[in-house]
Amino acid sequence: MKSKALLAAPGVTRRQCIKNAAAIAAFAAVPILRAESGRKYRVALIGSGWWGMNILREAMASGVCKVVAMCDPSQQTRDIATGQVTDASGDQPKKFEDFRELLEQAKPEIVIIATPDHWHSLITIASLRAGAHVFVEKPTGHTVMESRAMVNTANATGKIVQVGLHRRIGPHHVSGLQFLRSGGAGDIGMVRMFVNSRGGRERPSPNSEPPEGMNWDLYCGPSPLRPFNGKIHPGGWRNFLDFANGTLGDWGVHWLDQVLRWTEEKHPKRIYSTGGRPVQGKPIHTPSEQTSDAPDSQVAVYEFESFTATWEHRKFAGTGSEKTGVGCYFYGTKGTFHMGWRDGWTFYPADDKNSPTHEASQLQEPDGHNLTLLWKDFIKSIQDGKKPVADVESAHRSTSLSLLGMLSLKLGRSIRWDGEKEQILNDPEANRLLSRPYRAPWVYPTVS
Amino acid sequence: MKSSFPRPLYHVLTTILLLATEGAACGDDWPRWRGPDSNGLSKEPDWSTEWPTQGPTIAWKLSVGIGFASVVIQDGSLVTTGHAEDKDTLWCVDSAKGTVRWKHSYDSDLGDKYFDGGTTSTPTIHGGFIYSLSRWGDVFCIELASGKVKWSKNIQKETSVRIPDWGFSGAPLVREDLLILNVGDAGLALERSTGKIVWKSENKDAGYSSPFITGAGPNEVVIFGSSKSYVGVALKTGKELWRFPWPTQYGVNAADPIVRGDHIFVSSGYNKGSALFTVAKGQPVVSWQNKELRNQMNPSVLIDGFLYGVDGDTTTKATLKCVDFLTGVVRWTEPGIGSGTVVGAGGKLIVLTDRGELIVAPASPEGFKPSARAQVIGGKCWTVPVLAQGRIYCRNAAGNLVCVDVRKRP
Repeated sequence: MKSKALLAAPGVTRRQCIKNAAAIAAFAAVPILRAESGRKYRVALIGSGWWGMNILREAMASGVCKVVAMCDPSQQTRDIATGQVTDASGDQPKKFEDFRELLEQAKPEIVIIATPDHWHSLITIASLRAGAHVFVEKPTGHTVMESRAMVNTANATGKIVQVGLHRRIGPHHVSGLQFLRSGGAGDIGMVRMFVNSRGGRERPSPNSEPPEGMNWDLYCGPSPLRPFNGKIHPGGWRNFLDFANGTLGDWGVHWLDQVLRWTEEKHPKRIYSTGGRPVQGKPIHTPSEQTSDAPDSQVAVYEFESFTATWEHRKFAGTGSEKTGVGCYFYGTKGTFHMGWRDGWTFYPADDKNSPTHEASQLQEPDGHNLTLLWKDFIKSIQDGKKPVADVESAHRSTSLSLLGMLSLKLGRSIRWDGEKEQILNDPEANRLLSRPYRAPWVYPTVS
Repeated sequence: MKSSFPRPLYHVLTTILLLATEGAACGDDWPRWRGPDSNGLSKEPDWSTEWPTQGPTIAWKLSVGIGFASVVIQDGSLVTTGHAEDKDTLWCVDSAKGTVRWKHSYDSDLGDKYFDGGTTSTPTIHGGFIYSLSRWGDVFCIELASGKVKWSKNIQKETSVRIPDWGFSGAPLVREDLLILNVGDAGLALERSTGKIVWKSENKDAGYSSPFITGAGPNEVVIFGSSKSYVGVALKTGKELWRFPWPTQYGVNAADPIVRGDHIFVSSGYNKGSALFTVAKGQPVVSWQNKELRNQMNPSVLIDGFLYGVDGDTTTKATLKCVDFLTGVVRWTEPGIGSGTVVGAGGKLIVLTDRGELIVAPASPEGFKPSARAQVIGGKCWTVPVLAQGRIYCRNAAGNLVCVDVRKRP
């Protein structure tokens, strides 16, 4: 969960807190450690903002990690984050502006990557090549072929890559998918993923010089060098398509991933998306001011062999008649199953004589995730040399579906997807959008 | 008493008394953020700290639009702001009845990148005029009585000054001919009658506190929370006199400083903490610094040597704390307040929890022992309650404003 806009979701109940605390306590009681030898993994964080620090706190709490390096193009961000690390753990990591210097000098064994999406691929690949295991936030890539290059590099280096899909290990997601797979909702014929919130028209903000101590050229990296604008940094880059892929490239990855965890099919065969900015208004991008440019509303349709899944998001009108603004409905012959976030999962039987079945979420607050479990799985995977729960190849497939939705939106037509070859059928123009030009001197990662 | 006056005179006197009460001339007004003395304390005498079990009367309610601006009150007029349908609106309302006297709207962005968005800066009433600053730099001088705009401008467009991440948030400060705004690295001053710039500071991110004035005569100093420090500047010239480095995550130095004698107290959230310092020959000297009291948005109040304030962020389980001003030692911690707010009056604390429960308790380092509490509003409440003329005004982020009547009954 990296969507700040939706943080104001219902709070957790006391019961959830207790359960949660119990889960954490149970984890703490089980030493997973390589600490037997007293040695700790040398960990580096690249992208030291809000979410990166959430992940790094898990590393520090695990007892098997020593934070050796912090990286961010903003001096203020890395200074403050480094101070927090020293406060929390006593570690005194070295600070770096440029990840290449960090990899060369700090020689981390584990790299956590929590940059905006447009940097995920290049930094993951460089970290793997430098011999590190990687924990990278979702989505894996900003375009499909970047993501594929990450998978290939992970396979070639044999290093572990865990992707931040904490819903794969979140207790109510695991039990909910078990409920579905065991036929609890009957035969599923349709799935609907959605994220809705409030909002209105967007007015432009003035461009300005980047904040003091911010290497804005490095922040933009392989993306076009836009003028600095407070709408982008900090915390707003998801709504700028140079750096991310809007709501579908954020929440969409989580829910598409849940769908792929549930179905036995590996890929949809056809994808179509439409949407735009009817409420926020046309994007503005001038030398003096900018708005964001991600769609304020979007529908995407994923046709699988045995079912159809739809995505919809809306940044206006609120949740309306829905009980919740976020989730994924699985419609089956026995009823409707809602996979939610803080509201856990609920099954509503088609026969209204039976009452709904509900399971509460067990999340870490305040940000509503299960990173403790995901980090534990990552360390275990490194120790055992086995695939982690959110391995890069499967995360790549979920990411790709969100990217293909965005691709269809930009293209304005549906695409037929050959998931094995990772090619769009009979559409050279569409295939060109599986990658994008990079700004020199950065070079698009090679897939082979 | 009744029998000692002839009937007609008795009636006249009664009428005058009633008028005085209704016209709100005997209690305490609250014309600016943090009140008449800029310390979060009201001198209002007419209010009850013991409420009936069903809670005090809600005299009126009004929907003013999304935002976090608090209210200001002068001579029976209440002024606040909110955002709806792509516009910010300045409301002037009868503070006793809740009837709208006038409103002024202008185009504005909701600005909900990190939160609900809407207005954040509280307007200031001074000398019959309202001064207001929007998150995006719109400045207005409006006649209180008529709602007529005397002058307005967008200071951001005029100076190309940087807008901090959450927009400009400090309440304007009026001193003599100057209108002082927390805009730029260490503030900006306008001529208050015209809006003409008198002095300004470097083009760096402002913080979110309201300009705070201290000292006297030629030694008047205005303190600004800036993005990476608290800065003291000379009132007349804007010349920087001292700078206390105070880097906080996201540059959020939002709580106003609290000054007593030579001591200056500052506090920020995001696990930053607080510090007490003095200034000697232009250099800050720290008396103490710790992480016990972390004011993310609203400042604490200082009563009889003890600070009472909210420790923690909106994303943590924030608590109310009592901290010894001179030592930084915590005297007590009260959970369950959340990212709420606190003001004081007559030795009492008035607390509004982040879920809209209004609580009154004696301000005492011995503990938090409420004498009255009532759920007066729902939703998300990050805005300080304001006590004036026997009424407490509370709002939530969605823009529901309630007037809680706590006048002592005759």
